[in-house]
Amino acid sequence: MDTERRSRGRLSALTTIAYRNIWRNGRRTALCVVAVAVAVFFNIFMQAWIVGMVDGIEEVVKTYETGHVNVTSVGFEAEKEYYPVQYPVAEDRALQDVVAELESLPGVVAALPRITAYASLFDSTVKHALLWGVDMERELRVNVFNLTDRDDGLLEGRFPGDGNECAVGSEFARKSGLRVGDPLPLKTVSSQFSDKYWNPRIVGIFEFDYRKFDEEVIIVPIARLQRILGLEDRTQQLFVYARDANDSRRLKGLVADVMGPGHVVREWGDSYWVAMMRQMNIVYVVVFAVFQIVASFLIINTVLMVIHERIKEIGMMGALGMTRAEIVAVFFLEAVFLSVFGAAVGTVVGGAASAIGSMFPIDMNAMMGGGMKEFPVSGTLFLSFSPAILAQGFVFGVAVSAACTLIPSLKSAFIEPVEALRR
Amino acid sequence: MKRTIQTIIMLAALTASAAAQSGPSAAELLARVDGNEFYSTIVYKGRMIIEYQGKRFVKKMAFWGKGNDDTFVEFVNPEDRGTKYLKKGGRLYVYSPDSEQVMLISGHLLKESMMGSDMSYEDSIENEKLSARYVPTLSGSEPLNGRAAWVLDLAAKAKTESYPRRRLWIDKETGDVLRYELYALSGARLKEYNLIRAETIGERRFPVESEMRDLLRRDSRTVFIMDSLELDAPIDDSVFSMRNLER
Repeated sequence: MDTERRSRGRLSALTTIAYRNIWRNGRRTALCVVAVAVAVFFNIFMQAWIVGMVDGIEEVVKTYETGHVNVTSVGFEAEKEYYPVQYPVAEDRALQDVVAELESLPGVVAALPRITAYASLFDSTVKHALLWGVDMERELRVNVFNLTDRDDGLLEGRFPGDGNECAVGSEFARKSGLRVGDPLPLKTVSSQFSDKYWNPRIVGIFEFDYRKFDEEVIIVPIARLQRILGLEDRTQQLFVYARDANDSRRLKGLVADVMGPGHVVREWGDSYWVAMMRQMNIVYVVVFAVFQIVASFLIINTVLMVIHERIKEIGMMGALGMTRAEIVAVFFLEAVFLSVFGAAVGTVVGGAASAIGSMFPIDMNAMMGGGMKEFPVSGTLFLSFSPAILAQGFVFGVAVSAACTLIPSLKSAFIEPVEALRR
Repeated sequence: MKRTIQTIIMLAALTASAAAQSGPSAAELLARVDGNEFYSTIVYKGRMIIEYQGKRFVKKMAFWGKGNDDTFVEFVNPEDRGTKYLKKGGRLYVYSPDSEQVMLISGHLLKESMMGSDMSYEDSIENEKLSARYVPTLSGSEPLNGRAAWVLDLAAKAKTESYPRRRLWIDKETGDVLRYELYALSGARLKEYNLIRAETIGERRFPVESEMRDLLRRDSRTVFIMDSLELDAPIDDSVFSMRNLER
């Protein structure tokens, strides 16, 4: 008991010495704190950026690309970059029955048929577009299409009903000089490889803040598109939405059982972009670690300088009976104090920056000059403000910086008191 | 005198032999092709058999053409019934039963696939003499599918030509175009045509069954068959009218 108390008292004394030592050269201490703070700030900010971006990609993938669980046919999958319409899902069954069966699965909110097909435009500066056949009324019950404002994204007019109508993206309308009320003559190719000419009227202009859609997509009623493409009541893809998106893996199996062979069933987590971003996490950790280590060089340098400066003091401490471990502990704790202060400052500033970024999104389209079209991410990026990211950034900063100073601190242990006092 | 006559005879024989060995000139060959394939009017019922992405589709149509200016095509297979095209005054119009409207096909659309086939709109309605559009060069001769053929390279006279370069294999005996390849300005081969069957109609040879491959599409081919064909017969102008298109 006494030994334990004595040891605790000694650690407290060493901590006090280390704490007092950091104020012996205020300018140097400030410099070290700033270096660590910058590194921790960078790590927290970048982590908030990446998590925000990953969340954005997942949101786009779930809303537009796959739903929570996506069903296509094997034939479609082989040629999917062309959006072929001649390979519908559940070809030998009534679509209504399949949808009803999928929606009866526990945890499923909706099973939405969608068709995407290429269209060539007449008399337009925009030559090609994507027809997006959806039941907008049902879609809006499940999805929030504008990823920034969290609403239906309608800027003008309305979404198409069942008639000879369409809605176009804001960028598409701007580039082609079209307005609500204008006809939009186009050609598409049916499931029977027939050229189908169509002249729907624009009834609405939308902005989903997803560049690909705002620039390329023409929303049309799915029933009309089915008729034009010769699909009757069949669909190209089914988007299944669950009550909980994290339940998708379980649902995927159930959906596959309902659909039977000849179908490709995947959940949103299987998306190439989502999988890639998740794999990239390892790379980010390495990048952050390297950045933190580089920032820690300043502390390493400080510790080495301090040891050199206080070499006589170290000799004195040794002569007065301090053990090597205690001398190392003084220098190590000094470095830990610098790391903690720096990490704390970095965490506060990084936290504030990410909190602001989570309320006021960054316009990625402006930043990238509209080059985000091929990337399934919203045009605006919300940084992720999360206590977990702050805690992670703080602990990571302290741990890496402190660990880096352990070896230089050990240098103090190998200084002979007599040799040190003679200098 | 006797020596002079002998020399003249020898020279004449040599010239004749050289002419026989070198064969026709490039311009003569192209003129022969034009003579066979260029028509003043054409009426036929035909089929396009499209094989693409593992599927096979058959399109049936009736075709009327007059020179290079007037063309009228009506598709009659169930999926496309009522879709009609009219080329008039250098413009191509389409009537679609889906839109119940006449629409003008222009610009980039003319280069797109017609009815999902390997042929573009331009390919299928073009009827202008090759000799008017291309400068021919005879590249040699080689056997093709067991037939001796001349190889003719054509370079476009105008920069606006869809295919700046063509290469033709012309049957030495019949003058049929056995095969041709269409090239882009970059030298990339875009399309490939192979004759399957030609018939003698009057004094000319005319292709009635052929295959076209758009090499930019994977595993794709279109076989074009003319089931009934009438060349150079009079056609009433009312066939090539907007009224007929909208009817």
